[in-house]
Amino acid sequence: MVPAAAREELERLLGARNYLDRAEDLVLYEYDGGVDKHRPEMVVFPRSTEDVVAIVKITGKHGVPIVGRGAGTGLSGGAIPRAGGITVSFSRMNQILEIDLANERAVVQPGVVNLDITLAVQGDKYFYAPDPSSQRACTIGGNVSENAGGPHTLAYGVTTNHVLGLELVLMDGTVVNTGGMAQDVPGYDLTGLFTGSEGTMAFVTKVIVRLMRQPESVKTLLAIYDAASDCGQTVAEITARAITPVAVEMLDGVMLRMVEEATHAGFPMDAEAVLLIELEGLIEQVEEQVEQIRDVCAACNAREFRVAKSAEERDLLWKGRKNAFGAVGRVSPFYYVQDGVVPRTQIAPTLEFIRGVSAKYGLSISNIFHAGDGNLHPIILFDARKPGDTDRAKAAGDEILNFCISVGGSITGEHGVGMEKMELMGNLFSSDSLDMIQGFKNLFDPECRLNPGKVLPTGRGCMEIRQRPDFVL
Amino acid sequence: MERIAPSTPEQMAEALAAFAAAGKTIHVGGAFSKLRQGGGHAPAAVTVSTSALTRVLQYEPKDLTVSVESGLPWATFTRLLAANGQMVPLDPPFASQATVGGAVVSNLCGPRRRWFGSARDLVIGMQYATLEGKRVQSGGMVVKNVAGLDTGKLLIGSLGTLAVVLSINFKLAPAPPCTRTFLFHFTALPAAIQKRNSILQEVLQPWSIDLLNPHASGRIDEEGWVLAVQAGGSQRLVERYELELAGTRVLADEAEQRFWERIREFIPEFLREKPDGYVVRISTPIEALGDAAASAPVPFLARAGNGVAYALFTDADGAANWLKSAAGRGWRGVIEFAGADGAGPDEAWPNPGPELEVMRKVKQLYDSRNLLNRGRLYGRI
Repeated sequence: MVPAAAREELERLLGARNYLDRAEDLVLYEYDGGVDKHRPEMVVFPRSTEDVVAIVKITGKHGVPIVGRGAGTGLSGGAIPRAGGITVSFSRMNQILEIDLANERAVVQPGVVNLDITLAVQGDKYFYAPDPSSQRACTIGGNVSENAGGPHTLAYGVTTNHVLGLELVLMDGTVVNTGGMAQDVPGYDLTGLFTGSEGTMAFVTKVIVRLMRQPESVKTLLAIYDAASDCGQTVAEITARAITPVAVEMLDGVMLRMVEEATHAGFPMDAEAVLLIELEGLIEQVEEQVEQIRDVCAACNAREFRVAKSAEERDLLWKGRKNAFGAVGRVSPFYYVQDGVVPRTQIAPTLEFIRGVSAKYGLSISNIFHAGDGNLHPIILFDARKPGDTDRAKAAGDEILNFCISVGGSITGEHGVGMEKMELMGNLFSSDSLDMIQGFKNLFDPECRLNPGKVLPTGRGCMEIRQRPDFVL
Repeated sequence: MERIAPSTPEQMAEALAAFAAAGKTIHVGGAFSKLRQGGGHAPAAVTVSTSALTRVLQYEPKDLTVSVESGLPWATFTRLLAANGQMVPLDPPFASQATVGGAVVSNLCGPRRRWFGSARDLVIGMQYATLEGKRVQSGGMVVKNVAGLDTGKLLIGSLGTLAVVLSINFKLAPAPPCTRTFLFHFTALPAAIQKRNSILQEVLQPWSIDLLNPHASGRIDEEGWVLAVQAGGSQRLVERYELELAGTRVLADEAEQRFWERIREFIPEFLREKPDGYVVRISTPIEALGDAAASAPVPFLARAGNGVAYALFTDADGAANWLKSAAGRGWRGVIEFAGADGAGPDEAWPNPGPELEVMRKVKQLYDSRNLLNRGRLYGRI
């Protein structure tokens, strides 16, 4: 419970317009893009680092749990206040503070929307590389917390490769700056430690990101297949021939029909799978690689190979890809997105396994994924109103992720562990490794107030104390 | 002094736990090729080497990943990858002696970081042993992985002060069929910086952009200010670079390899020559690099597309004073390699900033009694 005294102090600090505590408002903050829900007791909207420090101190005095939230697009329950308490929304700390093209940097507040960075610099021919599908909505603070990825991370790396420094508010109210405008600052890489810590060790209040020069040429290709296995073979062959696309996305038949019906992007309705491939770089390099990939696709029985002829056509194909989850929502009232990763050579066996899981549980599973780096997004369709369906979806998901672990992969490539996959952490990591994570949690959040009940399996950390019995899937 | 080199990860973890339980100070290293780096080290009760951990744990070229034990010689490692047309483009100095673990833990990377990044960008997983005898895994064998905390990042550049790296997983890049290097010679710095700026602002994607001042270029048989730019790719792509970057001289094949070999060994060669020599490393915003170059009275070699530079001094005072003035301008830096007299913490790392307190907390978590590589990290940790 948030004590009345804490509420009053926060109201005094922030003013009446910068917090919410009515049930009809709070209900909007009980979920994110995943399947878990829990309602906060209050939502506060800091406007400055000083506000965040004060919030940390006030809630600390009263022992109230706090959870950071960006746009709420996360897919692992990272922003769900599962122990109740206060949600700290960064939506009003949304300014791009500095753009410094000569130094290839921008300094932004955590509430800045991912795509807005690129929009701010694209006139000068620069861009911010990590491009999660939710990039029109998701915020940099959330991206840093989850170490977000996206299709183009195949070539450019994930968020941690593009963050050079952070301003953090620690749980004792200390403000710390890590990294900086320059690279290789001496000492331990604290920026690397906190990026991807899923909002469990500190609040991020400022981010220094790396900007990249736009490539000279971009080509987007669509290869269409009558057999998913040929599609998987193409991916392996692209790697074997040392071709280096910046994105290789695969959509299976179920998925691409849903996407096409929703977006009319031009995907074929009758195919078993498609590959969406993007090449970037100097004109010569891109032209050469288009032909190399055309050869690979032909050798791997692609029935059709298209090169997007215009920026509009390219945008449409990507719109289809990036709005895929929305397309699923038109077909199924509930869906459960997985984020397993497997070594590239294990893609085909994994797809086969997923087909088996689909049959075993009687649930439709569609696949859309970053094939180039082995990051799969099986989407399990279910109906939570049918008794047992939710449990079956969860069980099917766990079975897929355990398979990913068994072939040397991981349970999450870009969505984070959150509260969704924490119980599987014990299957992926040894007890020694989990102890280390727990050691860091205790070091930076000894009272376990910050985003409790995430990442580590139940029985570790502080869930026994904080977790209320009424949280629901 | 006791000296051991355990040959399995289990033995390494057990040995560390036993030494720590006995309160023994431990000097840990791979090939010990960089003893003068990072503030040197205080005398320790035992020496622990990773040199017997040399297995290749997993290498499937089609997955573009590899996992090797930390004591594998860097040279053996890169030969293995090259045989499969692949590479980890880190270019560490001391490459002929260094181990894979040492190259990563010392975080000294070379010219190609402009395009490929540094160890933090190429390492996808790591296993390390703690003083409690635990074997901790961070990351894994896939290129995208956000499960758990990325504690491996802390070990990169830790100079062995936190834990002992047992094995490292890397993502790999295909080695391209062709490379070219373009040298630009200038009589004055501003023209060199202008050239660098124009390359950065253009659509080219060179691997390396290194800058040498006349003192530095003289050490590798060049003259004046030199900007060295390397690109790699297909024959056609390299021809495009030849069109765009018609420099003073174009290097290919053996001449190109020899040139970059000398750049990679620039610091080791100086340290061999000058046992009393000091190497200062500074980090500046890219734009400020020209000012840093202008202020260096000694051989100065910079990763000009990153803002990381090295200056070679023959005396402690010269190094400390230059670093102090660089710090006064807001640049970050350290005396990376010290001469025989060493360098005190205030000289070696003049402006650590408030995050040093957080780093000390991290050190406490791993090594509360300061047993591991005491004195390293510039005597500040």
